[in-house]
Amino acid sequence: MKENESAPVDLCLEVLRRLDRAGVLEELVLVGSWCTHFYNRHFEGKARLSALRTRDIDFLVRRPPRFKVKVEVSDLLKDLGFLPDLRAEGYVSLSHPDLIIDFLIAERGKGSETTIPIEALGIRAQPLRFLDFLTSDTIVVSIDGLDLQLPHPANFALHKLIVSTRRPKPEKREKDLRQALEIIDVLKDLGRGDEVLSKFTDMPAGWRKIAIKVLNDADRNDISRFLQ
Amino acid sequence: MDPIKGVLAEELVNSKRMLKRHGEALSRLPKGSLVAKKIKRGVFHYLAAREDGKVRFHYKGKLSSAEVERYQEAKQLRRKYMSQISKLKKQVKFLERALHERKRKRAR
Repeated sequence: MKENESAPVDLCLEVLRRLDRAGVLEELVLVGSWCTHFYNRHFEGKARLSALRTRDIDFLVRRPPRFKVKVEVSDLLKDLGFLPDLRAEGYVSLSHPDLIIDFLIAERGKGSETTIPIEALGIRAQPLRFLDFLTSDTIVVSIDGLDLQLPHPANFALHKLIVSTRRPKPEKREKDLRQALEIIDVLKDLGRGDEVLSKFTDMPAGWRKIAIKVLNDADRNDISRFLQ
Repeated sequence: MDPIKGVLAEELVNSKRMLKRHGEALSRLPKGSLVAKKIKRGVFHYLAAREDGKVRFHYKGKLSSAEVERYQEAKQLRRKYMSQISKLKKQVKFLERALHERKRKRAR
């Protein structure tokens, strides 16, 4: 299969440009595996993170949503070939052969809501656990004149450690773990280990316990010792 | 299954699902091109589409500019979806081959 390798990245940037022009990008935080692509820019070429990721690009909507404008995202991206795709879980993805856009929101309470309508975007977001931790500290990466919000890499890595334990599929668990360890190693190598330690200390005791167990099970006692 | 194979397997499921969705979306769009014919002082529209190997013209009458735009938009979307379906079929073929490579080697 002859593929243009930059096609998903170009399409991703066009999506970001459109969301920015529509005035909604500033209220969204990019989460999920695509963050690693943009962290490479944040690390200013001093690190090269693995490009292993799926086509899914996840945007996190802060809770409560604070959009100043109303935009039908599916209409905004329709001419690019994005198609609304109702998933079995009840939320709607926007699908394109090169990119699948999902909107997520932090789950609260008992977690009985299957989807949450975001009227300002004309979509239904998927509620998931632990997402508040990703928005508790964000960084801004500038790309082609766009300011993109991402979770702080330390929050991203620690979040991946926690969610890896909730993955039913071992290969997904392994992928989360690899991404988490890779970013923690990069931060430590760049002399930013104290940032990981600080985020770790701010985590609830239960989460810290889980993270330490995951690290020990992965034979990364060097990191677990550093964090304790 | 290692993470690379896991990603490929997930993408295969995604590509198959998208192929189905794009096929459904394509079938909902009107087929053919809108043709305008000037007859005396009026402009009348026909939808030209290939049926059983022959091009047939379906009379649509006088259409407003909004309706004409809708047909043109549908035609563009149709072209886009067809190109995406072709891409998705190639993805499915590639991913199936990548995931079943070991099985094929064993079978040899």
